[in-house]
Amino acid sequence: MATLTIGRIAMKIAGREAGKYCVVLTNPKDNFVQVTGPKVLTGIKRRRCNVEHLEPTEYQVKIEVEASEKKIIDVLDKEGILKKLGLKKPSPEVVKGPTGKDKKEEKDKKPEKTKKEAPKEEKKEGKTVTISLPRLGKKKETPKTEEKPSKKVEKKVTKPKEKSAKK
Amino acid sequence: MVRRMLRSRSLKRSQKKVPGGKTVTHFRRRKPSIAKCAKCGKDLKGVPRLRVSELRKLPKTKKRPERPYGGNLCSKCMREVFREKVRK
Repeated sequence: MATLTIGRIAMKIAGREAGKYCVVLTNPKDNFVQVTGPKVLTGIKRRRCNVEHLEPTEYQVKIEVEASEKKIIDVLDKEGILKKLGLKKPSPEVVKGPTGKDKKEEKDKKPEKTKKEAPKEEKKEGKTVTISLPRLGKKKETPKTEEKPSKKVEKKVTKPKEKSAKK
Repeated sequence: MVRRMLRSRSLKRSQKKVPGGKTVTHFRRRKPSIAKCAKCGKDLKGVPRLRVSELRKLPKTKKRPERPYGGNLCSKCMREVFREKVRK
């Protein structure tokens, strides 16, 4: 009978990922192995898995310990296992996508940038509004409704006024 | 005299004591039977025992376990099904 060792292709038997194929990445240690679909291929993410929740198949692939998803897909495709299991090879764009760690970093970075940018704009708006109040009088509401193009005009108009007031 | 509709024996009756001291019969629709595994006949867990009209108000995830054959086979039988599939 097939054993669960590195490169063995197995089927998950338990849980919501049951019935999906995966590749074993490490030798069993305390009844647990590291496993991956890869997720792009079968939907099983890289995770620890109990040996009792796996059923080994007859297929095995030569891979390194904890190989990258891209390498695994290439190897599976070369050995013709994708066809045997009836799986479709995902498009290279999907496979090339950043690994899990990079994605997290990007997500963390993006919101920070937007947060930094957003408050600055708000401050600018606040300044223009406060300054324009005495001069424009009744026209308070109009600058708020008008968007970006109007702001620039206001800034230009308001700045010289400030200087004049200081002098 | 009870309402004619309530004289049907398909309704379940229960005797309740009312705050006023009277005992009153309450009528209720019977619950459907417990869902069973299609393979071994065991009781299924995670499948609510409600009428269809009440099931309709629940989200899909509360009506059956989130796994293949969820709400149809018990987890043991599901494992057997997949084991057989691999061994062939």
